[in-house]
Amino acid sequence: MKKVTNRAAAVMILLALILVGMGVYIFRLVRDGDDWASFYANDSVYTNGSLNSGSITDRNGTVLATASDGGISFADSSSVRTACLHVVGDVDGNIGTGALSAFRSELVNYSFLTGTTSGGGTVQLSIDAELNVTAYNALNGKKGTVLVYNYETGQILCMVSSPSCDPEYGFDSSDSSYSGVYINRGISATYVPGSVFKLVTMAAAIENISDIWEQTFYCSGSTTIGGQTVTCSGTHGTQTVEQALANSCNVAFAEISVQLGGDIIAEYAEAYGLTSSHSINGEIATAAGSVASAQGDDNSTAWEGIGQYEDLINPYALLRLVGAIANGGTVVEPSLLYGRSAGSTRLMDSSTANTLSEMMSYNVEYNYGSGSYPGLEMHAKSGTAEVGDGTSHAWFAGFITNSDAPLAFVVMVENGGGGYAVASPIANTVLQKAVFG
Amino acid sequence: MDLLRLIFGEAAPWLASLSRYILPLVCVAIVVRCIRSMLRERYEPETWAYLYLPGEIMVPLRHWECILGRARSVDGQLNDPSVDKLHACLIRSATGEWTVYNLGRGATYVNGEEVRAGGAVIADADVLTLGKVSARFVDLTEEERAALLKYRHAPGRRVRPGATMLLLTVLQILLVLQQLVYNEDAGTSVAMAFGILCAAQWVYFCVLRASGQTGFEPETLGFFLTTIGLSVAASSVPDASSMIKQVIFIIAGIVLFLILGLWIRDLRRTKSLNMIAAGATVVLLAINLIFANVTYGAQNWLQIGGFSFQPSEFVKVLYVYAGAATLERLFVNKNLIFYIGFSAICVGAMALMGDFGAALVFFVTFLVISFMRSGSFATLFLAIGGAALAVMVVLSARSYVLDRFQTWGHAWEDIYGNGYQQVRAMSAAASGGLFGQGSGNGWLVDVTAGDTDMVFGVVCEELGLITGLCCVISILALAGFVVKNASAGRSSYFVIAAAAAVTVMMTQMALNVFGSMDILPFTGVTFPFVSRGGSSLLSCWMLLAFVKGCDTRARGSFAVKRPEKFSGGAGVEEPDYGPEGYDDYGGWEERTEDRRTRRGGGRSRRGRPYREDDR
Repeated sequence: MKKVTNRAAAVMILLALILVGMGVYIFRLVRDGDDWASFYANDSVYTNGSLNSGSITDRNGTVLATASDGGISFADSSSVRTACLHVVGDVDGNIGTGALSAFRSELVNYSFLTGTTSGGGTVQLSIDAELNVTAYNALNGKKGTVLVYNYETGQILCMVSSPSCDPEYGFDSSDSSYSGVYINRGISATYVPGSVFKLVTMAAAIENISDIWEQTFYCSGSTTIGGQTVTCSGTHGTQTVEQALANSCNVAFAEISVQLGGDIIAEYAEAYGLTSSHSINGEIATAAGSVASAQGDDNSTAWEGIGQYEDLINPYALLRLVGAIANGGTVVEPSLLYGRSAGSTRLMDSSTANTLSEMMSYNVEYNYGSGSYPGLEMHAKSGTAEVGDGTSHAWFAGFITNSDAPLAFVVMVENGGGGYAVASPIANTVLQKAVFG
Repeated sequence: MDLLRLIFGEAAPWLASLSRYILPLVCVAIVVRCIRSMLRERYEPETWAYLYLPGEIMVPLRHWECILGRARSVDGQLNDPSVDKLHACLIRSATGEWTVYNLGRGATYVNGEEVRAGGAVIADADVLTLGKVSARFVDLTEEERAALLKYRHAPGRRVRPGATMLLLTVLQILLVLQQLVYNEDAGTSVAMAFGILCAAQWVYFCVLRASGQTGFEPETLGFFLTTIGLSVAASSVPDASSMIKQVIFIIAGIVLFLILGLWIRDLRRTKSLNMIAAGATVVLLAINLIFANVTYGAQNWLQIGGFSFQPSEFVKVLYVYAGAATLERLFVNKNLIFYIGFSAICVGAMALMGDFGAALVFFVTFLVISFMRSGSFATLFLAIGGAALAVMVVLSARSYVLDRFQTWGHAWEDIYGNGYQQVRAMSAAASGGLFGQGSGNGWLVDVTAGDTDMVFGVVCEELGLITGLCCVISILALAGFVVKNASAGRSSYFVIAAAAAVTVMMTQMALNVFGSMDILPFTGVTFPFVSRGGSSLLSCWMLLAFVKGCDTRARGSFAVKRPEKFSGGAGVEEPDYGPEGYDDYGGWEERTEDRRTRRGGGRSRRGRPYREDDR
């Protein structure tokens, strides 16, 4: 009998295992409860598949979206609704990178203590809705994107993608001008970078070609590399490397690229985060670009360093790069949530960053003309990326060092034409609004 | 809602909202009171007789079933090479008659006469001879018997069971309030159902209290879990006919609980049906295999009249009934082999039905029972039997079971397929927070099998994590109670049966909770008492009777006969403390017995007998 009674303690093993299991459950609940609660099938917070509580505002408190049992309503102004469509997201979740999807656990306002019973939460975005409207209007119906962020605090002030539509009315799907309306071109797409990629090649040259400052480059409008021609947009004559960057001279950068070799250029693109996917506030994954090394083929290597060949980059990744250059080599990770920082990452030596910064300032002084950007201490690089169908993507990326407005930006107009001609004025318009109101 | 509006006016929703925060606290209070009551009552070992070895060394016999032998693990150790490790067994009947059985290869004699296979009666002052050792058997005197009764504790002095019942009533009122406010479909039938449950528990309490019982912890926990289960049923299908069915099952469960509890009072009677129970198990399983319908992949439903039954639920009770055994039977190999065969049939049948969860419950219970049953040499047999059963369990893992195994731990990667139910259970459970959305205010209950296999999620969603944990802890408390009682157990039958019963409950609960929360494979097992469904409720209440059967506290359990008679004369009357007298009496104990035991480190537990001075 003693043995039997003692062995009844076997039951305690089961009891202990159950306690361990409950521990595991509670641990997981604490860790993942917000994801569980914001699962789309949770009828407590979703009505007919769309959120039924919570609201989204911009940095100034302008309401961008409000969820209730009756569905989701958007901002009062049609222009704000249209300009902020991609940042906020749509009712049906077609824009997966929109705040309605990405920050749904904050909208659901889950807490371990109250679950989802305390009603929806408010998500305040770092976006300035008015600045978005300015940017959207500046794109003037052309497909493209404008990204502006504060490179010291990481706050994203402007994120616009065009084409867009008013979520209250939708769009005419038979109209081809709306093709890809649900794609946030700033974070979910990759494009041929063209000359903006020369920043990467330049950085690699600074760090790998010891006599880069002594070299001169002669441009007669084209050159033959690897048996094939590399053409330039102009005839630049004899140039220093600073002048070559300011001229965006293909001949010079073809030579530099061959000196570097395709592997090093691809390595730099990777190190600068141009080929990887980034996560905005841990919730929004960006599209990863790709830069393939043109191994041994000098002509392709030349085009690789010029930003053509097989190069594809994502505008957001480029924003991080110019942000890092502006901030002494360390990128303050962009954040879409007001007042919330997202950490920082060192991309390059501060000396390299400072050199690039000076060269980007020289670009403006020597080529673009500071008069194009009144009141802005502009540092920039343009890009006119040949797409292959005769058109070009227009790029303009850089930053301003105005003490009260440390802003980095990327403007990209799909098939828009020349970077300086098309993208630069849009950047100026948006920055004027951002700095001077 | 109309009814509530009539009573509370516009305050009804506000009251319901407030009650969401009060309800979990009431649940905590109920469970804590039950556990405190279980833990605070001490279980002094009872001494039922003595053996006086040569040199007047006294060996107290603490149970109704005692093993004598040379081994350290026996109840009465006789350290002599001529004695077998497990030599003999002394068994006391409910009427106080003692019988000796020979277990070992050596012989056992009573007053010089050899004990044969059927055992021999032994009385006060008889001489018991094991090998070369002779011992004098001394039964209790009337005075000792009276003293024994007098100093035993009755539960309920420190934590009054009536107050816990009142809290339970408060819980039921809160649930009705929430149902009427939150559940659009809930009407008077829901209120009536809770009313009937409430009335049933008070009738039960008053009748047993009037008959002198003071221990109510296991059934209070049973009523608590049943109440939570009724809330789930009301959220799920609140129409009148369903609620009436559910209440009928609850009442039937309580009645079966009482019948089985009273039945097992008499061990001889209980044992006499052992083979019949085993036979009934096999017949039920056969009926099930031939006639049952396939539902959710498992062939385990029988339609009789308007009611559907799950025979496998009743098989659990029969399995525990037939699986437990008294000590003298444990050491007969024939019985052991029979038991292994019987277990194999049960697990095998479950496997054939495709009821993987039930097969697993049986298997774990088999392991616990066989561990408790196994003597020394028999362990090997059981291990082999266990392995064979394990293979069957694995074989029962048919393709759909395998699918579930593959989903295990990856439910979130398969939200449209095999993870469909688990992710919803987790989502709903998280959504409830600590206090819940309110009874009748959830959605998980409408998902397929929400009110059964994912009921933990429903409870957490509607009543909150705190209440969900209270349900889990209730079952664990029953298990702890059984282990605690085992030390003072009278017959191994009750100890084994109770341990098996709580094993069934705990295994089911673990599979239900962890299965739906993706910590274990999702096997579709019910949460004891809480999951909606009649058969499961009936079987749980019957299993609870076995828990009551191992509660040997004075006045603790109706399922345990009060030891009023003893050998050698007319029964000594139990001290008549009157209906409330036990309270005053408790005061006395507090002053003397308690302090002495605490200081003395359990002086009365070992070595010296109880009340030795009185002799």
